Amino acid sequence: MVVSVKQLEKRYGPHRALGGVSLDVEPATLFGLLGQNGAGKTTLIKILLGLVVPTAGEAALLGQPVGTFSARREVGYLPEDHRLPEYHTSTSLLDLYGALQGIPRRQRRRRAAELLDLLGLAGREKLRIRGYSKGMKQRLGLAQALLHSPRVLFLDEPTDGVDPVGRKEIRDLLLEERRRGVTVFINSHLLGEVEQLCDRVAILRKGELMVTGTVADLTRQKASWLVAFDRGVPVSFRFPGATIETVEGGSRLRVSLAPIEGPGAEGAEAIDTFLAAASAAGLRLRHLERERATLEDLYLAIASGGETP
Amino acid sequence: MKDPDHFSREDAAAAERVTVRPWVPRTFAAILRDTWREFLDAKVLYLLLLAIALLFGAALTGRIEPQPGGRQYLDIAARAMAADLDGIDIATQSMGDVAGRLNGSVYAISAAEPLAADLPAGHWKATLTRTFVPLVGAPESGEEITARFGRIADGQLWTITEILETGTDWARKIGSQTWEMTVAPGRDLRLLWPHRFTLFGDSVELAGTKGAPLGLEVLILQKLLATGLGGTILLLVSVAVTAAFVPNMVRKGTLELLLVRPIPRWQLLVFKYVGALLLVAGLLGILVLAVWLITGILADVWSPGVLLALPSLLVFFALLLSVSVLTGIITRSVISAMLVTVAYWAILFIAGQMNNVAVESRIREANVGKMRPTSIAEAIRGRQPRREDGLQPGRRPFYQTTIGRITEGVYAVLPHTEDLDNLVDRQLMRDFAVAGPFRALMESASFSWEKGLGLTFLHTFAYLAIACTIFSRRDP
Ligand SMILES: Nc1ncnc2c1ncn2[C@@H]1O[C@H](COP(=O)(O)OP(=O)(O)O)[C@@H](O)[C@H]1O
Ligand SMILES: [Mg+2]
Repeated sequence: MVVSVKQLEKRYGPHRALGGVSLDVEPATLFGLLGQNGAGKTTLIKILLGLVVPTAGEAALLGQPVGTFSARREVGYLPEDHRLPEYHTSTSLLDLYGALQGIPRRQRRRRAAELLDLLGLAGREKLRIRGYSKGMKQRLGLAQALLHSPRVLFLDEPTDGVDPVGRKEIRDLLLEERRRGVTVFINSHLLGEVEQLCDRVAILRKGELMVTGTVADLTRQKASWLVAFDRGVPVSFRFPGATIETVEGGSRLRVSLAPIEGPGAEGAEAIDTFLAAASAAGLRLRHLERERATLEDLYLAIASGGETP
Repeated sequence: MKDPDHFSREDAAAAERVTVRPWVPRTFAAILRDTWREFLDAKVLYLLLLAIALLFGAALTGRIEPQPGGRQYLDIAARAMAADLDGIDIATQSMGDVAGRLNGSVYAISAAEPLAADLPAGHWKATLTRTFVPLVGAPESGEEITARFGRIADGQLWTITEILETGTDWARKIGSQTWEMTVAPGRDLRLLWPHRFTLFGDSVELAGTKGAPLGLEVLILQKLLATGLGGTILLLVSVAVTAAFVPNMVRKGTLELLLVRPIPRWQLLVFKYVGALLLVAGLLGILVLAVWLITGILADVWSPGVLLALPSLLVFFALLLSVSVLTGIITRSVISAMLVTVAYWAILFIAGQMNNVAVESRIREANVGKMRPTSIAEAIRGRQPRREDGLQPGRRPFYQTTIGRITEGVYAVLPHTEDLDNLVDRQLMRDFAVAGPFRALMESASFSWEKGLGLTFLHTFAYLAIACTIFSRRDP
């Protein structure tokens, strides 16, 4: 396991930021950690980086206790709301962090130039960070995290303040890193992005881990369909086991079907029989779409205090 | 592979590309460069260099010119022969010390004529007379006079190049000798010679129309520019600039980026401290060197005593910086770091001044009824020793009052930075054969480099250690 956490607890005075979190992350995963403000995401990351000492529990990174120098050499970190020292330029800052990371001068120069190019910051080497836009700072923050080719990346809100094109570039970059075997641990509020990018997600609420699983599992298909016919459904039309409601201003029907137990996707056969019945009633199909639970549905359900659906 | 879960990289070259090796000098150099950048960013360096350049420019418009004064110093040299002054410390010993060394003769210059202009480098033709009690004292030879004339302690005012006894045998028998001599200036004559000191052409006169001894002028100039006003302003600027270093470093969002590196936290702090210290050492070095050059060029006096101001100021700044670092770590605020440091400085200054008063009161108490020590240097300039008055009945000396006791108690545990300043002053006074108004203090044995440095270092180290401990323990 790249990250292995058992019954991790962190208290700030009487306040419990993390209450017994257990979590494993496998190599070459894009792992998304979701949760409201104050849920404990940043605290968890800081414990894994050895910046914050946990009150109880165990945490290991790459099979070593967190916070050891050899573990730190293998991790890159982009803190949330980071403030890069404004008196530096991109090259001087990467040079500083590279040296502190232990990279010899020639190598860190080459690597810095490479990363600035990769992140679209090349050509602005003379500009002080003071003159950077938020997106540029975010990219430079990412560059310093990647500087020493870490095996694990911890990114706290990495696309905050980046324009859509930049986000796409960052997504591609992270996918490329994962392809090379890097594990990427992302904290984010941006559910759509996490859904698009991550392999696995976990949702924290008030320091407790509510859900963890693959994105595919958590956004599995629902047993409801959005249907449109060429004309309105006659009042006389009935189908056993189906609830029909009008949605989207009357242009669509939501058809919820009782799932049919057995192999195959749930409800798949039920919709066939439903459509056959509709066709027999003289209705002609114009639109058919299966509804999915989005990460947002799940997240909102958990955030609002409900149980896992 | 270090752990069983290690995954294989597709891009093996990427793994090789960055070799990571811990190396303390690299960390140190990186933090040093970072500090230098942060300092340059404050834009103060250019202002300081400009200020020093202006100072240089202003000083170089100055002129120091000798005034007529040879006769006065011939007289002094003659008078001083009445005592044996070998081995006496001209800056600190008093006329009382001289009294036991009188030899019973009186010497005087009865006539003197400059061979060229009346300048410190000029030679003189002079007539020396000696009066002595015939049965007690013996006649002196020209060689003996040559050996002693113009020497005061280890200072050399004049040297005799030719001497011829001209008095009659008859006069010699009744205790009177006369010599015609040619006299050349000695090594130390220039420092005591009165010089005019003007700035900006002739428009500002700094030492009165008659001038003042060159050594005194140089001393005051060096004190003012190096340890006095100049040093104080430079230290204040340094405190203001460096106060931002630590709070900026421990700001949320910046600190995490540093703490996550594979180096111990104390190194981040200590290296930043040393970096700032080296920077300020450079600035102080420039200042002190500039002062040395300015006085050298102006007065052609190159004695290196003023260079002692560099270690003295630097040790003091090291202390201030440790206070600033500690405050910065605790409060994370630039303003607090600055204010607390300046307040600490003020406390040290006040405690030092009050302690000086206490020490002086001890010295005075010990000397009641004796002749108040007047240094030989002062005496040469004609100041008479005075009797030390006791306090009015019922009044206690300061060091015995409650406040005096508290002062001495508090000062005993404070860093003795005042001592370091006093010691530099003492060196300057030695160099230039003058004694300032705090001469009695200068004589006090209670100042020593060992004690001054030891206590200051101890405090500096303690503040830094506390700062490192807090910094290493606290969650970011
Ligand atoms: N240094 C700290 N001191 C006191 N409380 C803290 C500290 N850091 C975080 N907390 C508290 O811990 C909880 C979790 O914070 P955090 O991990 O930053 O949440 P998230 O990153 O999910 O928004 C919050 O309630 C926060 O107020
Ligand atoms: Mg957070």
